[in-house]
Amino acid sequence: MLQKLVGGLIFSGILFSQTTANPQFSVIGDLVMDQINDSPKLSSSGVEIAIQGNVNPFARADVYLHKHNDESPIELEEAVLTIERGLPLGLGLRLGKFRPDLGRINKVHAHLFPFIEAPTGMKKVLGEEFWAPTGVEANILLPLPWYSNVSVGYFDSGIRGDIHEGEGESHDLEQNHDHNHGEEKQDFALSGRWSHFFDLNDINHIEIGTSGYLGDKNILVGADLKYKWRPNKYKSLTLEVEIFQYACWDDGPEDLYQNNCTGTYYGMVNYQFNKSYNIGVIGEVWVHQEEDEISPALFIGYSPVEESAVFRLKIGQVNHFYLPGEDKIKQDLIVTAQLIWSLGPHKPHRY
Amino acid sequence: MKKQIILFTLLSFCFGKVRVVTSTTDLADIVKTIGGDRVTVTSIARGNQDPHYVEILPSYMFKVKKADIYFMVGMELDLWAKSIINGSRNRHIDVVDCSIEIEKMEIPTGTVDARMGDIHRFGNPHYWLDPKNGKRIAKLIAEKLTNAEPKSSDLFRQNLDAFNLQLDKAILDWEKRFVNLQGKKLIYYHNSWPYFSNYFGLETVEFLEPKPGITPSPAKLNHIIQRIKSDDIKVIASESYFSDRVPKFIASKTGVKTVKLAQSVGAMEGADSYIHLFETNLKILSQAFGVEHD
Repeated sequence: MLQKLVGGLIFSGILFSQTTANPQFSVIGDLVMDQINDSPKLSSSGVEIAIQGNVNPFARADVYLHKHNDESPIELEEAVLTIERGLPLGLGLRLGKFRPDLGRINKVHAHLFPFIEAPTGMKKVLGEEFWAPTGVEANILLPLPWYSNVSVGYFDSGIRGDIHEGEGESHDLEQNHDHNHGEEKQDFALSGRWSHFFDLNDINHIEIGTSGYLGDKNILVGADLKYKWRPNKYKSLTLEVEIFQYACWDDGPEDLYQNNCTGTYYGMVNYQFNKSYNIGVIGEVWVHQEEDEISPALFIGYSPVEESAVFRLKIGQVNHFYLPGEDKIKQDLIVTAQLIWSLGPHKPHRY
Repeated sequence: MKKQIILFTLLSFCFGKVRVVTSTTDLADIVKTIGGDRVTVTSIARGNQDPHYVEILPSYMFKVKKADIYFMVGMELDLWAKSIINGSRNRHIDVVDCSIEIEKMEIPTGTVDARMGDIHRFGNPHYWLDPKNGKRIAKLIAEKLTNAEPKSSDLFRQNLDAFNLQLDKAILDWEKRFVNLQGKKLIYYHNSWPYFSNYFGLETVEFLEPKPGITPSPAKLNHIIQRIKSDDIKVIASESYFSDRVPKFIASKTGVKTVKLAQSVGAMEGADSYIHLFETNLKILSQAFGVEHD
């Protein structure tokens, strides 16, 4: 029902708008060489196609399609109508299929990661492609003397949370909903984020946020922080930290059992030191009852022509711990290289 | 009690004014001159910042949230302004494109695509660097401020007349003092200066960037070095936000003088107002070329 309502709203918004200008089309593609240190293999995640534009003076629409480099059909990543102006109380609305405002990382598309791949723990909690359900999200700037934004959303499907894989049951809720089985959905989810942004001065900025999520079978709380120092166009230092605590259950919250709880954290420092180069480190931690993972990595980015093409290299070590307290029993060194290019205005930023 | 009175006075003082946000410091300075004490004005880009690229910060949206007017440069220079304005969710704001009355230069013809670098489809957007365009901008700003606060229309008109008079006097002065700059050949780093060069009679020979926004390649540098030698070019001028590594390298090979110019108000010491922006740049260039000025 909700999906029909949202679809109808987007359709009517587009249909009745008086726009005559064409939307912006962008394509982002990549080439990845994985396991360079072991058995190098070339691959591509396919292409992301973005169609973006204003629907009318008050709203814009963004559609992201992903064609994976295989036989699978084109996948709809996001199709969202964003009402930015015209609503009372400075209210903003997003309607459609989109990535909700849950933590910092959930809204970030993969090509924007300077560290090539999303942190493992985040993918385990939010899903391989992150959480992009269908629903409605309202946001408002609070009347405070600084930027303070509250977002609250209602969605028809929950976080994928594939920490259950291998346990003989699947909570792969989002996957069920992505293939037009809207009528069969029995799920719901609420999410919210409260974020604050402070200018420490002209070149130092800090953003902090807290997030919460409640589905009918899982719950998540999170916190995030981003600090950026940017003295000029070609020099910046970025520090990002994000934490998620996630839990799920079968029959009710009282049946919550320990091995369905997980914590995932990552911290990143990225230093852009001239027009073309950046270097950084990332540390990822994923804590689960059966398997913990700690993965530090170094990454380097090179962007020869502004933001139209970026070359990235990541050298990381994954340390697996299969039982808490036990010595680490497996270490993997992973070296990955990526070339990412863009056509059109939707750029693969290197920050 | 005393503190409360001061706070109340300050609040009433601030809230009674026309609240203006501009994309650049040049527009902010003109707004301040025309609006006087009837406006509060904030610029999003700093003077020493590249106006093509401004990172969209939530705090900018917060600044625009309560503004009455937003003055943008337009011509796709400050494309980022749109995201800031929309993100502010200010449904009452009057967004003004200051390029509407400008006689535009270098409007590309034929197919425009990424092969041409970071090109602007609607012409070169650095139009405020022609002082005559400063008068056009000021006229538009006075109109919009009058719409926002009709009761102060006399003040805005007086301030506009005073600005025009001051600028006319400065132009006459510059035309006399810097007449020897006319016909001087120079190389710019980026194509920010066609309006400036055209007005003051400077001859642009080359740009260090092979295409707008593209870093000069070794082949391009070699070409520039040969050109400086063959055409006896004396000066390379670059915007204040560029690194001087490349100009200095060329200088080490050719002996050419390298200078930085203020592309906007506040970009460099001395360029603290729209009129002083020209004064500062003309002085820097005349010193670099070794031509006399008072």
